Amino acid sequence: MENIETKLREEASRLLLEKKVDVIIGYEKGTLPLTATPCFITKPEETEKLVWNNFCTQNLAKYVHDLITQHKNSQKRVKPEDRKKKIIGVVARGCTTRSLIIHLQERQCGRDEVYIIGVPCDGYVDGKGLKAAISGADIVDGSIDGGQIKMKTSDGDKTVDLKDVLADCCKTCRFNNPIISDVMIGSPAPAMNPDAEYEDVREFEGKSTEERWAYFTKEMDKCIRCYACRQACPSCYCPICFVEQSQPQWVGIGEDPSDTQVFQLMRLYHMVGRCVDCGSCVSVCPMGVDLRKFLKKIDKDCFEFFGNRAGSSMEDMPPLGKFDEHHDKGDFVYNP
Amino acid sequence: MARRKFATLKSFLNYIGVEGDRTIFTWVSASEGDRWAQVIKGATEKIRALGPANKLVKKIG
Repeated sequence: MENIETKLREEASRLLLEKKVDVIIGYEKGTLPLTATPCFITKPEETEKLVWNNFCTQNLAKYVHDLITQHKNSQKRVKPEDRKKKIIGVVARGCTTRSLIIHLQERQCGRDEVYIIGVPCDGYVDGKGLKAAISGADIVDGSIDGGQIKMKTSDGDKTVDLKDVLADCCKTCRFNNPIISDVMIGSPAPAMNPDAEYEDVREFEGKSTEERWAYFTKEMDKCIRCYACRQACPSCYCPICFVEQSQPQWVGIGEDPSDTQVFQLMRLYHMVGRCVDCGSCVSVCPMGVDLRKFLKKIDKDCFEFFGNRAGSSMEDMPPLGKFDEHHDKGDFVYNP
Repeated sequence: MARRKFATLKSFLNYIGVEGDRTIFTWVSASEGDRWAQVIKGATEKIRALGPANKLVKKIG
């Protein structure tokens, strides 16, 4: 990992010096121990801040989209001949590049506007899982050493196996390496355990309708509608989200459980062929809602019905943008 | 594609616990009056068997 970090910093400072990019989005050390936070780097000397480790959680494609939108809006009032192009460099692992592919396919930005610095990924640590593994103690200091996390906590020294506290989405990840990149740093990482990726979903499908509904309502009752999942999701980039529209008002703003359920249902459903299972929504959720159980089902359906994995190829069209009359199933159509 | 959206929507609603039979989707042409009647008859029977919908329903007042 150290090696990748050094190379990453060298590459980032080279890109900024050569003016190939205007800004680099990467991760820096977080304010709390054993965390990393997204950062924006515009000067070559600042590249020393960049880190790449198992605490880099958020999907940076979201920030790429935000910056590009912001820049395009700022250029609207500039004469066409004076408009400047902004190139954004991004430190991207597998899921980030999948999100970028979705953005490119949905014409959110041009391929020449993003410079992808690909990095291999061996999963990130689920903050809530780590906290649970050390029975809620506060982490004072810590480091990763040979697949183990060594921590000084308010409860004494503790050691946890890295693979035990990886996020659920990372445990079964098959896209550990960037799919598209302009420059690749480090050698490719092996896939995790992709065969087990739908196990949770299959188990849940086996339950009765009432049990499934009970679980859905139980999870949605936790939701406080802070919309952190939407803010963190790279595929949620509508300028005005349906929950904030007032004409018509799709979802009530009160505390009625059905409003929360409908918000979540609609947000989840908008992810058909667009959810890359990066786990950003799950990691930012303050209430620990099990969103992945539902998102993974959408991913599974999309793969089983249409043979498509979101953002897995630049050439593939988005699944909801095409139709295959020979292979698409028709058993959902009602024929009396 | 509408049909792909419906295929996934039906499957997803069923997954979260809204009975799959409640989501009914088919094509009826304006010239198929008889088929239209059959579809509505069939749909009504299916839904009557399931009873009133009380999931995802907002009670106002």
